[in-house]
Amino acid sequence: MYENERPLDRMETINKISWEIRNDIGIITLDNPPENYLFQPEFVAIDTLKKWTSYDYLKGIMICGAGKHFSGGGKLENLFRMISEQVNVGEKIAQGKAVLEHLENLDIPVVAAIQGICFGGGLEVALACHIRVCSENALFAFPEINQGVLPGLGGTTRCYQKAGFAKSVKLIMSGDMINAEDAREMQLVDFIVSKQKVFDFSFNFLQRLTKDRPLPVINAVMKALKNARTMSGEEAMKEETRLFCELALAEAKRRNLTQL
Amino acid sequence: MKIPEFSTIELGFDEGIGLLGLNSPPSNTMTMEFFKEFASVLDFIRDQKEFRALIISGRGRHYSSGADVPVLLKDILKRTPTDAGGLSEGVPDFLSNNYKSLMMLESLSIPVISAIRGVCLGSALELALFSHFRLCGEEAVFGLPEASFNLIPGLGGIYKLCSISGQATALERVLKGSTFTAEDALKYRIVDKIVPKKALMPAALAFARELMPDFRPGKRSLYIKKYLS
Repeated sequence: MYENERPLDRMETINKISWEIRNDIGIITLDNPPENYLFQPEFVAIDTLKKWTSYDYLKGIMICGAGKHFSGGGKLENLFRMISEQVNVGEKIAQGKAVLEHLENLDIPVVAAIQGICFGGGLEVALACHIRVCSENALFAFPEINQGVLPGLGGTTRCYQKAGFAKSVKLIMSGDMINAEDAREMQLVDFIVSKQKVFDFSFNFLQRLTKDRPLPVINAVMKALKNARTMSGEEAMKEETRLFCELALAEAKRRNLTQL
Repeated sequence: MKIPEFSTIELGFDEGIGLLGLNSPPSNTMTMEFFKEFASVLDFIRDQKEFRALIISGRGRHYSSGADVPVLLKDILKRTPTDAGGLSEGVPDFLSNNYKSLMMLESLSIPVISAIRGVCLGSALELALFSHFRLCGEEAVFGLPEASFNLIPGLGGIYKLCSISGQATALERVLKGSTFTAEDALKYRIVDKIVPKKALMPAALAFARELMPDFRPGKRSLYIKKYLS
């Protein structure tokens, strides 16, 4: 394989989810307009996602919806039908969770570019991203409660980590919609931009963050952030020093510093 | 009580309040010697009943510009343990001691306030983040520039910034590596209050006196509301 050869499948669409690579940013589009409903809990197969995100020149990932909305989430009727047809729904939900965990644990930044509705499973996808950008007219909700269920892909946990107990209970138990400002207030959203700018802002933001940074530095930052989410303070700090030390040794060699 | 003397730190004491001055002006560079002395200062303060609050500030116009990167890289190269094949592996003790010092600073039972004037960059910002409270003077300049040297903050700064300001801010500030203003720092909750430059030390002292009688780390946001707003 020639060094400059790009993989042939730089653009593909599988089960209403599209993938493309622009510069060194991968773009996942929930591609089932207008509401971009997700067919099943594992909206993309884990192996497909792993293949897409494994190109070693990628520096970031953007997730967005096709058209005017991010996603209306899963169609619960589908889920109930699967249950009546004896499909192992528990297994499917476990796979869906694994997909979101894979996204969250990637060692390159993942940005959700949200406009229009971002409900249920769609909100769960967004909450697994590292940064959330939304349009002024975006709407957020966990409507699951209206059908007697709750967010099943880790959304309750991720919501709680960001918004705290009281606000999460209110959002999840009421099923009510909140707007972009409320979502930012709850720390569910990091940036609000005008409706026309969501994709450009998100894409450019990712590019600006990563373009001058070599992958080992990006990877180390992402690992340190993952540790901050998952480890005790002491362990996370110890690991951060270790990651720093690895980079420092590489940089000392790159600068050709000799030992004193 | 006899207060020991240090070369890179000036340790003072005023009516129950310890005054820890980073003392290598103008930039108060955080050298290996500084971190060694810093650990001794913490040991000393922890054992003194008379110290009931601690204020950290920089001598001269700046808090500190952090470590001297070329010197630090050489020290790491020299002190990293090597395996049988001569390849470097593991973390040199002096680096592990540095993050442990920041953990110890944070675990002090007395309130620790960083009073930040001028620049506060790199390791210096990490030091400030592990203080319990941060006040800054107008026009103070903040930043974690490590990524622009192909490094990352390595003393727990990423972990701490993530818990103070959230993941998106930590990601942005660390990867960009650019400096930011006092107003941004306030927005990110990195500083708790901005005061006029000349009022900084008086404000920090007054705040320390309020906190001294009954300080509980878990009541941080309550203290900020009560005394700083």
